[in-house]
Amino acid sequence: MAENRRAAQFSPLTRARGWLRNPWGRPRFLVVVTWAYVLWSIVPVLIAVQFSFNATRSRTIWQGFSTRWYWGDPVDSVWHDPTLRHALVQSFKLAGADVIVAVPIGVLLALGLARWHGRGAGTSNFIMLFPLVTPEIVMGVSLLLIFTQVFTIVGTGTFAQLLGHVTFSISYVVVIVRGRLFSIGRQYEEAAADLGASPAVALTRVLLPLLTPAIVASAAVVFAISADDFVISSWLSSGGGTDTVPIRIYSATRAAPLPSVNAIATIMMIVTLLSVTLGFLTWRAFTRDERGQKTDDLGALGL
Amino acid sequence: MARGEIELVTLTKEFADVTAVDGINLDVPAGEFFSLLGPSGCGKTTTLRMIAGFEQPTSGQILLDGTDVAYTPPHQRSVNTVFQNYALFPHLNVFDNIAFGLRRTKRPKDEVKQRVGEALELVQLGGYEKRKSSQLSGGQQQRVALARALVLNPAVLLLDEPLGALDAKLRKALQIELKALQQEVGITFLYVTHDQEEALTMSDRLAVMNGGQIEQIGAPRDVYEDPETLFVADFLGVSNLMDAQVVSAAADGCRVAVDGFELETRGSDTAVMGAAKIVVRPERVELEEHGAPEGPNRLPGMVERLVYVGSAVQIMVRAATGETLQALVQNTGAAIPFDQGTPVQLHLPADALRVLPAPAD
Repeated sequence: MAENRRAAQFSPLTRARGWLRNPWGRPRFLVVVTWAYVLWSIVPVLIAVQFSFNATRSRTIWQGFSTRWYWGDPVDSVWHDPTLRHALVQSFKLAGADVIVAVPIGVLLALGLARWHGRGAGTSNFIMLFPLVTPEIVMGVSLLLIFTQVFTIVGTGTFAQLLGHVTFSISYVVVIVRGRLFSIGRQYEEAAADLGASPAVALTRVLLPLLTPAIVASAAVVFAISADDFVISSWLSSGGGTDTVPIRIYSATRAAPLPSVNAIATIMMIVTLLSVTLGFLTWRAFTRDERGQKTDDLGALGL
Repeated sequence: MARGEIELVTLTKEFADVTAVDGINLDVPAGEFFSLLGPSGCGKTTTLRMIAGFEQPTSGQILLDGTDVAYTPPHQRSVNTVFQNYALFPHLNVFDNIAFGLRRTKRPKDEVKQRVGEALELVQLGGYEKRKSSQLSGGQQQRVALARALVLNPAVLLLDEPLGALDAKLRKALQIELKALQQEVGITFLYVTHDQEEALTMSDRLAVMNGGQIEQIGAPRDVYEDPETLFVADFLGVSNLMDAQVVSAAADGCRVAVDGFELETRGSDTAVMGAAKIVVRPERVELEEHGAPEGPNRLPGMVERLVYVGSAVQIMVRAATGETLQALVQNTGAAIPFDQGTPVQLHLPADALRVLPAPAD
C-alpha cells in the first residue's frame, strides 16, 4: 500500500511520460505506423474498386451503385466490350499456361540445384536469382530482340508472351520449392531409401507429398505475377488480340477511361487475391503437422 | 547360420578437407549389441552412415554376412536405421509409416496389417495406428521409428543416437527397454552414441572412437576398468590423471614414482617404461583420516572442495604431489568426516591404478 500512495504523488506530466516510456507496454507507436501504412496502401485500391460500381461514366464523382460496368452496359461493360473481354481471356490464358509450364520445370530445377554439390552448383544457384533482380524492361527488350532477330520462328504474340512469362516465373518456383527442400532436409529421403524405396519411389511417395505445399504456393504466386505482368507482355505483344488486362488498362487510361477499366482491374485483383489466398491456405493446411518444430520457410521468404 | 554379422575392413571415408573415418577394422558377430562411442566428430556417425549406405566409402570393405555391400545402394541393403531425429514421414500416420517398408516389398495387405500390428505391440504402442507423428511425444516417436525399422526384420539394426533428444529419465527407461528388446528379437544392434553411460549400460561390447580411429574395443567392464589409452580413460567417465615415472615393471605389477612418492600398481602393461601417466577412477580413491596408519600407496593431501551430487559426494583433494584428485564417496546418509581445508590421507589401491603410456608430443 505504501507503494501505491507514493505513486499517487507523481505529477500528471510524469505519469504521462511514464505511460509513453513504459517498456512493458504495447508498442503503440509501431501499431500506429503499421496501420497508417496499411491505410495508405489500401485506400487508393478501395477507391478504384468503389468507382467500378459507379452508376455514371464518371471515375471521380460517386453517383450511386450499379453493376453496369461489369455486365449491365450493352456496349462499354467488361462483358460486352470485346477488347476488354478479350484482354481478360488473354491474361488468364497466359497465367494458366504459365503455371502449367513453369511449375513443373521449376520443381525439377529446384530438385536438381538443391541436390547438386559439384562444380558450378553455386554459380547456377546464383544465376537462378537473376530474373528476380533483372529490371523487367531489360528482360523484355532482350526477349523481343531474341524472338524477332534470332529465333524468328517465335516472333511476337501469345507464344512469345508465354515464353517470356515462363522465363521469369521459373525463378519464383525455384526459390520457393528450394526453400522448402532445404527445410525438409535429406532425412526423409534417406529414411525412405533405408526402408527399401528406390530413388524414384522416394521421390513420388515421400518428397513430392512433402513438397506439395510449396508447389501449390508457387503455382499461386506464378499465376498472380503472370496476371499482373505488364512490361514483358507488352514488349512481346503483337497488338490487338494479344493485349492483356494490364496493357488494356494502360492504353485505356491514356485515352478516355470509363469505370469499366476499374471493373476489369477489380476482377483481376480479386482473382489474383483468390489464387494467392488459396495457395497460402493450402500451405497452412499441409504444414500444420510440422509447424512449431520448424520455422515457417514461406514466412522466411516474406510471402 | 545366424544372420547379421558385420565386418569392416580398413574402412575409410575422406571428405573434401577431412578424413572422417581412417581405416577402421571391426568385427561384430551376429546378435550382438555393439556400440560405437566417441565425441562428436570422431567418425562414429559417418561409419554408421556408410553401413546404412548413405555415404560411399573412399576405400575399404563393409561385409554383411560375408558379402561386401560397400557399393550397394541403401534401398537394397538388409539393414535398417533408427535416425537421431526419427525422420518419421510427417505426411503419413503411424500405421503408414511402419507399413512403408513392407509396401515396398509388395507384401499382401493382410500380412502388412498383421506385421504392423505386431511391431506396434512390440514397442507397446498398440492402438496408435491412426495418429500423426506430430501427435506423439518424443518417446513415442522414438518407438514408432524403432517399429518402422524392426518390422522389416533386418539383419542389422543401426541406431544413431536414438535417445539423444529425450529427457534424462525417459532415456534411462528406454535404455533398459532397448536392451530387452534387442535380446528378444536377437537382431544385431549397432548403436552410435556419445553418452558413455548409455554405451556401458546397454552394450555387449563397444568400440571407443577418436579422430576417425578406434581406440579400444571390448566389453563395457574391460574398457572402463582397463582403458588402454589416455583418451579412453578420460572419455569413459571422470579419471584422475597423474604424471609418473615407471621405476620397475614386472608381470605382476610395477612400481611408479610420482613426485617423490612411490606407488605400486598391479597388472599393468609392462612394456611402458620411463615417463607415463597413471589413472585412477574417483570411486576407487579411498580417503582416510589424517593421522591414520601409513602404508603403501598412501599420499597426504588437503580437502579443497566438497560437491554434493545427490547419490554421492565428490571430494576434491589436493595431493602432496600437486595434482588435484577427485574422490567419489557414496551418500549413505552418514556425515562425511572431511571438511574443506582439512588434511586427509589418500589411499590409491594398487589394483585401482592403471599405468598408461604418456602421449608422445
